[in-house]
Amino acid sequence: MYAVAEVVDEACVAHKGCRLCIMYCPEADTILFDKTKKVAVVVEQRCKGCELCVVVCSAAKHNAIRLVHR
Amino acid sequence: MGKEKIKICEEFYDIMPPEYRELVDSSTYGKEGRGWKDVGVAKELIEEHSLCAGCPESIAFRYVLACLPNPEDTVMVGSTGCTSLVFPHVAVHNIHSLFGNQNAVASGLKRALAHRFPGKVKDVVVLAGDGATVDIGLDMTLQSWFRQEKFLTICFDNELYANTGGQESGLMQKGFVSKMAPAGKKFDKVRLPEIAEESGCHYVATLTVSKPNRVEKAIRQGVLIAREVGPTYIQLYTPCILEIGKQAMEGLQEMRDSEGPNERFAFKEYISEEAKAYLASLEKEKKPAAIPTQG
Repeated sequence: MYAVAEVVDEACVAHKGCRLCIMYCPEADTILFDKTKKVAVVVEQRCKGCELCVVVCSAAKHNAIRLVHR
Repeated sequence: MGKEKIKICEEFYDIMPPEYRELVDSSTYGKEGRGWKDVGVAKELIEEHSLCAGCPESIAFRYVLACLPNPEDTVMVGSTGCTSLVFPHVAVHNIHSLFGNQNAVASGLKRALAHRFPGKVKDVVVLAGDGATVDIGLDMTLQSWFRQEKFLTICFDNELYANTGGQESGLMQKGFVSKMAPAGKKFDKVRLPEIAEESGCHYVATLTVSKPNRVEKAIRQGVLIAREVGPTYIQLYTPCILEIGKQAMEGLQEMRDSEGPNERFAFKEYISEEAKAYLASLEKEKKPAAIPTQG
């Protein structure tokens, strides 16, 4: 079982210009900006589950990312 | 150059790996004004590296690769350490030689490129850990600065030999106890940024990677000044979360804690007079170009 990040679309504020998770994710091309839905999306195969995105997102009080087990 | 050299022949497009196709379709080769803002919307020049989950070094790698002004005409020189695990996953030309001789290799490379491609801009960027830059390769590092070799040296400073289990390094802070240095370090952290200034570097910056815009500015200035003026040096704090006993998600906070005003990684920048004049002339060049488009 692996822990990977998951974006809650309704809570994500990427449409307002927030790029915190995309910026601080240590993995390349893992959290991307979906141009049509205007939210961040996680590429699960690349996610190592370090939880850094959860930390930055909750620190900014957006709480739009959580870790899920797959 | 842009992307002409990596374009895929139409017949083979469907059998190429998806990562390569993405690189051709949406990477930022040849784009003016590349920067950290391209991450997340354009294909990055690094892919599925093998560093630990949450490693700040990999954040640094992403920013550095996103901010190089001219990646298609850049050759990176690496050295042994965690950074050498990443170079096979990087879409920029790179060379790995012996432990510590990265600046010597880069010196020869820069001269050879200038001879082989006269009139073309070719950047050389050295990217090595603190062991390679300060302990094992200090001779080569300093000599290249004394000789005024025109390339940028980036040091990923994690303050110990993380790759081999946490031995003491010259850049470790005084009194720090690590797994393989249980007595604690007896002398001060080597002040390489000051040494670089004295040794003839025209641009020296010390910073952490917690602020991407700062990293972007430093890398850009470092590469541009190295093209025309002389050697440049950037020291980036990329803590090893495993060796300092932190969790995967605590690396960012660690960097923020150590860049406070009186901390050891407070943002410092030195630009020589010559380099300042060069940067000012670059700014001037930009401005006249902007006027005709407005009119």
